[in-house]
Amino acid sequence: MSGAKQPVWDLPVRLFHWLLAGLIGLSWWTAKNDALEIHLYSGYAILSLIIFRVLWGVFGSSTAQFKTFIRGPRAIIAYIRDSRAWKAIGHSPLGALSVLAMLVVLKLQVATGLLNADDDGLTEGPLSAKVSQAAVDFAHEAHELLFKLLLTLIALHVAAILFYQFGQKKNLIGPMVTGKAEVDPAAEPMRPGKYWVALLCLAAAIATTRALIALGG
Amino acid sequence: MRRLPVLIAAAAGAIAVIGLSPGGAAQQAARPAAMTPAKAKALMHYRHERMETIRDNFKVAGKEVSGSSPDLAKVVKPAATIDTLARQASHWFPAGTGPDVGKTMAKPAVWQDPKDFAAKMTNFQKAASTFNAAAKSGNAGTAKAAFGDLAKTCKACHDLYRKAH
Repeated sequence: MSGAKQPVWDLPVRLFHWLLAGLIGLSWWTAKNDALEIHLYSGYAILSLIIFRVLWGVFGSSTAQFKTFIRGPRAIIAYIRDSRAWKAIGHSPLGALSVLAMLVVLKLQVATGLLNADDDGLTEGPLSAKVSQAAVDFAHEAHELLFKLLLTLIALHVAAILFYQFGQKKNLIGPMVTGKAEVDPAAEPMRPGKYWVALLCLAAAIATTRALIALGG
Repeated sequence: MRRLPVLIAAAAGAIAVIGLSPGGAAQQAARPAAMTPAKAKALMHYRHERMETIRDNFKVAGKEVSGSSPDLAKVVKPAATIDTLARQASHWFPAGTGPDVGKTMAKPAVWQDPKDFAAKMTNFQKAASTFNAAAKSGNAGTAKAAFGDLAKTCKACHDLYRKAH
């Protein structure tokens, strides 16, 4: 690889990533320490981020778009056989699976959080009062189980980054901070999304979050 | 002569055993029934179920009193149930039913600071009794206020004595 660094991750993707990482940590801490008021707000923020990311996966930069990074089984197998032959930028075919898995589990985690309530019924998710106690109990169990699944996926994610860092001498953390990486000259450059589109996606995400919370009355 | 120290030790030991055993027996007798692990677990399960019953009734009552047009007729029964259970609740936490014995959300602090825990229980009982009376009074405003006070007594105790997840 040679030449100047090229953009691979746009600012919205990077902000999404690090805000999400921080908020997952905050959600974890507030649940462990019974700061459930803050836990609820942290969950709302994560909900907004997730909706934003899905919208940005349709309307955002090329490396953020699902249609760019979601690849079929053939591409994934080829990548596993020889990862160095893959010269493109953005999520690798295998990494895309990790991204999708984390997004799906996070969506389920937020959904069960909306329905969940503390055992004593004193702190309730915004939609908890609208459903039966059996549904709340189910959401309660699922919310705990899904978090373990999420932690497992995050551990895999971090292990993969360490593997690339030390096993393949490929730095993945730097580009997620600066947005730029040394790329193969033959690789198709990133087509950046428009910032006003990002702002619209964010506004839509926040509006949807507020509407969901308001459903609880 | 050489055996004397052994004899003395044996005698001292015997005296110690005889001397201490009545005290030990008395201590045993002070508890109405020894807390076997099976008994403890059964009581902890019972405690959990009753706490859930309180929670369920609390939710039913809460939905009604905080609604736009509360129907207090629907609150009378849950309020009475909470009142009844609140009177029993202080008996659900005997020594030997803590987290060292089995799965429970009760913190060791329940047994480390029994005076404060008992005071919190008394507050809960009083608030439950007030709410029960308020529900029967038919005054929606009074019932709503009493419900809020009741919730505060739940939270005050849970914040200190109920384990985080």
